[in-house]
Amino acid sequence: MAKIVVHFIVLVVLFFGTWFLLGNVDYLKHFRVEELTKETEHNLGELILDELQKGGNELASDTVYSFVNGIKKRLCTSNGINDSSITLHILVRDEVNAIALPDRHLVVYTGMIRYCKSPEELSGVLAHEIGHIEHGHIMKKLRKEVGLSMLSALAGSEANGEIARETARLLSSTAFDRQLESEADASAVHMMARADIDPEAFADVIFRLSQEKNDIPKRFEWISTHPNSQDRCAVILRLRKQETCSSKPIADSSAWAKYEKIVRRVSVSLK
Amino acid sequence: MSLVVIMVGLPLPIVNVIASAIFYFANKKSARFVRWHCTQTLLAQGFTLPVNAAGLYWTLGIIFDRTTVSNNYIAYILTIVLFNLVEFIATIYAAIQTRKGKHVVWWFFGPLTETLVKA
Repeated sequence: MAKIVVHFIVLVVLFFGTWFLLGNVDYLKHFRVEELTKETEHNLGELILDELQKGGNELASDTVYSFVNGIKKRLCTSNGINDSSITLHILVRDEVNAIALPDRHLVVYTGMIRYCKSPEELSGVLAHEIGHIEHGHIMKKLRKEVGLSMLSALAGSEANGEIARETARLLSSTAFDRQLESEADASAVHMMARADIDPEAFADVIFRLSQEKNDIPKRFEWISTHPNSQDRCAVILRLRKQETCSSKPIADSSAWAKYEKIVRRVSVSLK
Repeated sequence: MSLVVIMVGLPLPIVNVIASAIFYFANKKSARFVRWHCTQTLLAQGFTLPVNAAGLYWTLGIIFDRTTVSNNYIAYILTIVLFNLVEFIATIYAAIQTRKGKHVVWWFFGPLTETLVKA
């Protein structure tokens, strides 16, 4: 019996020893897995951004861009995120939408800026999208829905524009699954609280959007891609209670009105 | 992509386990020599099954995005491929030898079989 026990121990040690020894090799670096993943993500980000830009130009106003970028910076720096790693794009489009793209691009449509009643509401939307970026949800979703081989082909420019358009459409007009949305919501609440912005504004914008049922899905894409909005509001408000935050305004109402006016003027002039 | 190929191959040992179990039960009343080797093979398969199942579970987790490919994962897959290969070669060798009537005793599984198979 002792012989069997000794043999068994040797066998187990041999197994785990082999695993441990083989585990010392950096396969990911050797096969350039991370490098290739980053390269694919970078190319995909550029490609999808190009597609979105065909539907609406980047907002030319530096004033508005600086203001929205300032909100993004406040959210990032308060949460230990490298602000410059996330690139903000404001596209002149009527749809009420904001999208996180591969390679840490954050796209906000002017329709969303116009829809928000306060900079705090806009910060909630930005925080939610930053949450998707920080959790790596975008590539997760694309891998699941488009598939690895198709993504590699897209990133390597082997695919035609139609596939690129479909991928852009997938990101801008379909939902992440419930678990990923909840994760992004929870991140948004936490990020806002740490940036001294009351997360209630985030619940407000979601609640208002959920009331806009008549126009869904034509204009209010952002909410049509985020199901169970009323349940989400309840969860956001519950999470808010768990956070301690002192609310410091992002801008006074007259400043916000000024930015909103610029956005509206640009939108109208392009029609 | 090669990892996916390995993943597809992982469930196959279950076929070996089933085959070994069939042989074991079919030869329950055979001569001790036959019963002994059927038991040894079944025990060896029983050892590799949970090891392979863990590899399969880990791989499915990667495919369904619950986790990502890591150096540890690749090392585990290489380890189980190595162990399966050794087990496969040992099985083929034992099959050839036992057909000639030669007794092949494996490390650990041989002594364990000895305690389990009555005369």
